[in-house]
Amino acid sequence: MSGCDAIDVTVKGAALAAAEEGRFDALPIYKPEIECASREDIRALQLEKLQETVAYAYERVPYYREKMDEMGVAPEDIKTLDDVRLLPFTDKAVLRDTFPFGLFAVPLSDIRELHSSSGTTGKPVVVGYTDDDMAMWSECIARLVQMAGVMPGDVAQMAFGYGMFTGGFGLHYGLQRLGCAMIPAGSGNTERHIQMIEDYGTTVLVATPSYAMHICEVGEAMGYDWESSPLRVGLFGGEPCPPGLKAEIERRMHIVCTDNYGLTEVMGPGVSGECLAERFQQHIAEDHFLWEVVDPETGEPVAEGEMGELVLTPLCKQGIPVLRYRTHDLTRVTTEPCACGRTLARMDKVRSRSDDMLIIRGTNVFPSQIEDVLTGIPEVTPHYHIIVESKGGMDELIVETELRPEAFSDSLPAMEALRGRIAETLKGTLLVAPKVRLVEPSGIERAIGKAKHVDDRRGN
Amino acid sequence: MTVSQISVFAQSKPGHMVRVLDLFEGAGVSVRGFSAADTGEYGILRFVVDKPQQALAALKEAGCACVETPVICLKLDDVPGELSRVMGVLAKCDINVLYSYSMISTYIVLSTTDPERARELLAAEPVEMISQDDIARIVAERAAKEA
Repeated sequence: MSGCDAIDVTVKGAALAAAEEGRFDALPIYKPEIECASREDIRALQLEKLQETVAYAYERVPYYREKMDEMGVAPEDIKTLDDVRLLPFTDKAVLRDTFPFGLFAVPLSDIRELHSSSGTTGKPVVVGYTDDDMAMWSECIARLVQMAGVMPGDVAQMAFGYGMFTGGFGLHYGLQRLGCAMIPAGSGNTERHIQMIEDYGTTVLVATPSYAMHICEVGEAMGYDWESSPLRVGLFGGEPCPPGLKAEIERRMHIVCTDNYGLTEVMGPGVSGECLAERFQQHIAEDHFLWEVVDPETGEPVAEGEMGELVLTPLCKQGIPVLRYRTHDLTRVTTEPCACGRTLARMDKVRSRSDDMLIIRGTNVFPSQIEDVLTGIPEVTPHYHIIVESKGGMDELIVETELRPEAFSDSLPAMEALRGRIAETLKGTLLVAPKVRLVEPSGIERAIGKAKHVDDRRGN
Repeated sequence: MTVSQISVFAQSKPGHMVRVLDLFEGAGVSVRGFSAADTGEYGILRFVVDKPQQALAALKEAGCACVETPVICLKLDDVPGELSRVMGVLAKCDINVLYSYSMISTYIVLSTTDPERARELLAAEPVEMISQDDIARIVAERAAKEA
């Protein structure tokens, strides 16, 4: 692929165009010696670091020492990567039970920063980072932002909230590490965000996908021309990004968008990130994270490429050395080489969690399935809200979806036919008949942080 | 000769019709006739207004799902048999009337979720409420006058 004309990825649209032409040589790779290393080298590095991490956790964290002693496993028993299965799992409950500093391996004097999880699924969990942890974290972010074509010299505007949430500072440090100018705008005040993009020549926007969509819509309503805007890249996180929503943002804002994956308990954002070759997958930073995919029921490993729960062991965290963290996120992982040139394993983007599965009249339903169906129906927007109620002992699934203005006609029978068609299509996928509610355009609340899609009103 | 009707998609919830009316007011649009059809959770609000283009522009600006349709507007004499006469003209030619409502907002009919409470609230307002007896009396008085 050499010998072609040079491509400048800082030109709006160039990164996406290069990817579409298969010109991955034009796209930057932050640390090729790791990101493009042979599988053997990666596994050798992982084993060395796993052995160190287990010894470190055993030596410094009483919880792990007791747990491993109880299970009759010693750090010396870790001789191969598969031996990770000898180690105990860590669940979120462990981090809560040892709140605040029970799992910390260093005194607070060695901690430079504390963060906590958003508590969407319960009480917060607090984590701490040493200087080395901060350096590792920002490097992981620098790598993934380069996957989207972000370059030193880019101007990046933060639309995540800062605070205790790892997303804000994580991306902030990583973008600075790469050499970008950060605008720490924070979340909210959408008109001001748009004004700053124009005034400061912002090229990179960091936001949740639902808030990016909101910024897009507000800009359009203000008459802002996204096509001639300096904005070039959207970096998404904080919530799963539906493919339909991402494609729509790319089209309407004329930018390239990628999203990354991470969780506070193991580090924060930066565990894996999307390259422009495989848009439904993310490369895992395998030099820093050992991944396993297990059956969520039994905890036993599934075959490579099979769907299961992602389990992560950070390989060099000093502040909190977590072993085998149960993410509850469902995915599958492949180690096949990627067209982008990276050899790091790729995980499917997380669309569902083992614990966000709804059981409706005995059938398993994932919100992501509903999202996929709605994305394929042109008369409605990708915004939705799910309500589950119990009516006379029977579960009722209600799906609220927004009518697009251009899909409206002055006919109740036509509207009812559309509603019926959406319900039928959903039933075909979910195997449960939902009740569909059509709501007005923009009638579904746009989230500034994590979008809350499900309201389960069944009393527990 | 047809007139423009503005139809608006609206959820059947308090405040959603007022929002549309406020947009009209802001655009200096006067409602000359309307109907609100419901399916339980959403409905179609239909309006005949003095300035349909301004009305449509205001609704679109606010992001509403709305559409303009041509409809026929007739002025009937208030005598028995008039409604039947014009409906008959269309029926004979096999033209179906999809919906129909009367214009000029002097006498309006409302169906609400809480009729008794709605009645109490409106009784306390400076607005005339019509009873079933009033309706019968108007017809009877007219008949007496003609006799």
